[in-house]
Amino acid sequence: MRLAWDPTDEAFREELRAFIDAHCPPQARVGKDFLGGDDEIIPDWAREWQATLFDHGWMIPGYPPELGGRNATPVQTLIYLEELARQGIPRSVHFGGYAIVGPSLLEFGNDEQKAMAPAAIRGDTVWCVGMSEPDAGSDLANLQTRAVLDGDSFIVNGQKVWTSYATVAQKCFCYVRTNPNVPKHKGISVLIIDLDTPGVDVRPLRQISGGSEFAEVFFTDVVVPASNLVGELDNGWRITMGSLAHERGGLWVEGVFGCQRAVEGLVALAERRGLAGDPAVRRRLAAAYERVATLKALGYKGFAGFAQGSSAPEHSYMKLATAELRRELFELGMDLQGPFGAVVEPAFTEERARWQQGFFVGLAANIGGGTSEIQRNTVATRVLGLPKG
Amino acid sequence: MDFTLTDEQELLRATARSLLGNECPSTLVRAHWEDPSVVEPLWETHLREWVALGDGPLVDHCLFLEEAGHVLLPGPYFATSALFLPLLRALGHPSADVVAAGGLSGTVALAGLDGLWTTEPSPDPVRRFVPEADRVDQVALVLPGPAVAVLPASSLTARPMETLDSTRRLFEVEVPADVDPQPISPEALAAVLDRATVALAAEMVGTTRWLVSTSVQYSKERVQFDRPIGSFQGLQFKMVDMSLDHERAAAAVYYAAMTFDAGDPDRQRAAHVAKAAAGTAAKRAAKDAVQIHGGIGYTWESDVHLFLRRAYASEYLLGPSDWHHDRLADLLLGGSSLR
Ligand SMILES: Cc1cc2nc3c(=O)[nH]c(=O)nc-3n(C[C@H](O)[C@H](O)[C@H](O)COP(=O)(O)OP(=O)(O)OC[C@H]3O[C@@H](n4cnc5c(N)ncnc54)[C@H](O)[C@@H]3O)c2cc1C
Repeated sequence: MRLAWDPTDEAFREELRAFIDAHCPPQARVGKDFLGGDDEIIPDWAREWQATLFDHGWMIPGYPPELGGRNATPVQTLIYLEELARQGIPRSVHFGGYAIVGPSLLEFGNDEQKAMAPAAIRGDTVWCVGMSEPDAGSDLANLQTRAVLDGDSFIVNGQKVWTSYATVAQKCFCYVRTNPNVPKHKGISVLIIDLDTPGVDVRPLRQISGGSEFAEVFFTDVVVPASNLVGELDNGWRITMGSLAHERGGLWVEGVFGCQRAVEGLVALAERRGLAGDPAVRRRLAAAYERVATLKALGYKGFAGFAQGSSAPEHSYMKLATAELRRELFELGMDLQGPFGAVVEPAFTEERARWQQGFFVGLAANIGGGTSEIQRNTVATRVLGLPKG
Repeated sequence: MDFTLTDEQELLRATARSLLGNECPSTLVRAHWEDPSVVEPLWETHLREWVALGDGPLVDHCLFLEEAGHVLLPGPYFATSALFLPLLRALGHPSADVVAAGGLSGTVALAGLDGLWTTEPSPDPVRRFVPEADRVDQVALVLPGPAVAVLPASSLTARPMETLDSTRRLFEVEVPADVDPQPISPEALAAVLDRATVALAAEMVGTTRWLVSTSVQYSKERVQFDRPIGSFQGLQFKMVDMSLDHERAAAAVYYAAMTFDAGDPDRQRAAHVAKAAAGTAAKRAAKDAVQIHGGIGYTWESDVHLFLRRAYASEYLLGPSDWHHDRLADLLLGGSSLR
């Protein structure tokens, strides 16, 4: 065990810092907490920034240059994630394309589909991921959107919901039921669906935060070429399980460093509002710091195992704990504003209602990507080995 | 930053685990309740040689202490290796080498009437919460100044404090009128206390590990309503949260230990974080372990209460979680930047 990184890894960090200083647009530096809301869903500067990262090998550092990387080691990838997160700089505002779709196409797609990956990772093509349906959220395998093979096309009927970025995406990485006569997770396939195909209807949903980042997507007799099937027919469940694997070891980084920035902001907020001497506030802030510090240490510890090749289900711990912590920290930020916790008007609130917005994002973090209850179920059975309920 | 253990550290941990697992069964811990001298042979034949860990890298010492906490090791090991030896070393005391070699046992008497271990020792005429004061060779009295007097235990009057936990015996010691202490800098004393705090947190992580893993095991075996109780989500979620707290505390302890070994400026904060996290984890695991064991968990025969007692007693020793949060707040508020 040791605290220091290797000099070569520190040099890697320095190179990254120099790159950020030279290229990162000022809008990206305000921190991810500010994204979303009523602004444009994917602003131009974000598209340009993602393309710049890709072209310089800083989009997915572990990948080769043609895929936006530089063949970095796992430790370097961790340093990369840490450095961006520490500075609050996003890589992309649409996570699905580079983190889910690109890697899945590379792992499961045919040659033609593999060739779509660089554009997905560079952000040239915006993808949405269509998993959830009204009756298939946590119980994802219950999805009912039907795709029936008819000659060399699938005919798709059904509905997706809470589909992030569907209003601005060109393509949907869509989970459909191709076989209703087998156990439910065995009859699922993945189709690439162009969202401008006739019969596709995208209807924005207004979110709790006021924005409309996600949408409902309806499919009525949508004709999809059979060649758009990703992987084998009826074997889509494997893709669900396989996606995200490439960066799993470092997925906690953004959450934890976001929480760390929140604690720094909370300390500053308490000082500005003259609460720094209040014993109850001091204890809450210290407890918040403690929780971030322990999570950060746990993330590094888990990463040690990951870097040695163990794919640890312990990472569910990190998703669960950072999502819950985020919600609490931003709520504390609202509390520290006293009566002004209730307003979002810039004239009255601290930092453009950062805490109020962040609290909403924290609520979403405990639902999207598997709810906190589902994470607990996973830890219970896969990490602790408890019998299934 | 690298949390992987070196081969030597893996070996140290495995050795400690099997040594303490074999030599310190719960029957011994229970017998110690009636007669503290029953741990004498264990100390004499096995533990003296491990005191030197108190002198070396804190990570290594924590690995050993985690296993000690996992079996509720009673006796003079913690006081000697985690309190007494580091203090003597900080003083440059001539006996330090003898202690490190296992030649002398000792303890530290610092907290006054208020029970708190701080770098500004009180002028009170007594020292409280002195571990194992009647079974060690020497006692280091920490006095205002700060200053330290190392005295033979036999020259002091020690009154046992009746405590929740019988596995770490605590005493009230009278401060003699005519001692001639040697000064120590507040910084050096603070470093000793921080190191001891992390060491205690490591022990607590071991105690918590027992509580979590025993609860998981029991819940897989105990059947109610024709199902193992571990399949009930209400209990599963409790165990997930216990285990998450435990994992966080363990990571915080080893991070803190690494900051000590690297002489990193974050070490004071890290020590407070480690103890507060370990306390939170231990208390939750202890309460929930009793709950998960149901009626059995409330019996004297079950070992759960031994661990519950040690968990709470350790939480209150060397500063409760709230106290560490208050110290942490002192470090955070007032311009220092976070890392
Ligand atoms: C901001 C945001 C973005 C999203 N983006 C996308 C996207 O791009 N693509 C996509 O496909 N989906 C997306 N989702 C949907 C998300 O994946 C689902 O909302 C989520 O999986 C939960 O499903 P549900 O909403 O149907 O809730 P339900 O599954 O109905 O859950 C309701 C409650 O019941 C609990 N519950 C359910 N099952 C269990 C159980 N077995 N044990 C204990 N408790 C249980 C849940 O934890 C929750 O508290 C997004 C959601 C949000 C909030």
